[in-house]
Amino acid sequence: MKNRIKVYRAMHDLTQEALANAVGVTRQTILAIEKGKYDPSLELAFKIARYFGASIEEVFLYDEPTEDL
Amino acid sequence: MLKITYSGCTMKRNTFYLLIGIVALVEVGIFWLSVRLEAPLLIQIAFILGVVLLYLARRGVEETIEDERTVMITQKAALRTLEVSWVIFFVLSLGSAVIAFSRPLGLRPPRPGPQEMFPTEALELPVFGGFAIIQMTLLCLMIFLYVGFRVYYARKYGEWDTDEEQD
Repeated sequence: MKNRIKVYRAMHDLTQEALANAVGVTRQTILAIEKGKYDPSLELAFKIARYFGASIEEVFLYDEPTEDL
Repeated sequence: MLKITYSGCTMKRNTFYLLIGIVALVEVGIFWLSVRLEAPLLIQIAFILGVVLLYLARRGVEETIEDERTVMITQKAALRTLEVSWVIFFVLSLGSAVIAFSRPLGLRPPRPGPQEMFPTEALELPVFGGFAIIQMTLLCLMIFLYVGFRVYYARKYGEWDTDEEQD
C-alpha cells in the first residue's frame, strides 16, 4: 500500500515526531509507514487522514496485486 | 530525570532502559548471594520483585514506547518462538518417554545394598539439580529464539530504518 504521508507532512510543515505524537505512535512507526514497510491499521489510517483533514483515499493508495497469467 | 506526580512515578524512555540494566545487575548480584547463602528463595523473590518493578516503571514512561506496530512485532516473535519451542520440547519429551518405556514398567525394585550407604538426600539432590539445569537451558534457548525472531521482525517492519530526520 502506497501513501502520501510525506507529502502531507511537508504541506503541514510537520516532522515525523510531531505526527507520531499527535496520533499516539512512535516515530519509527510513521517512518515505517512512509517507507511502505508497515501497513497501518484502519484506526491509525483514519487518525492520520483526519489529522491532515483529508480522506483515507487521499492519503493511502491501495495497490491491486498484479495477477500472474 | 524522575518526576514524582500524584499518579505515581513518571520517567523518560532512556531512564527506563537504564533502570532495566540496573535491575539486571542487581539480580545477578542477588543470584550470586543466593548461591553463597544456599537460599534459593532469595533469588526467586528478588526476581519476581524485579519483574513487578519493571512492569510498574514501564507504565510510568511518558513517551510512547509501544504502539500497534511494536505489538505486532512482539506477537509475531512470540508466536514463532512458541511454535519452535513446542517442537523442541516435544522432541525432548519423546526421547524421555522412549527411555522410560525401554525399561520394565511398574514399581522399581529396591535399591541394592544397605540403605545407610546411600542416604536419600545424597542421591536425590544432584538429580534435581540436573533437571533444573536442563530446564534453565531450555528457557535460555527460548529467550535466544525470541530475541532472534524479534530482531528479524523488527528489521522487517523498519525498526532501525533511518532517514533524513534521524537524530
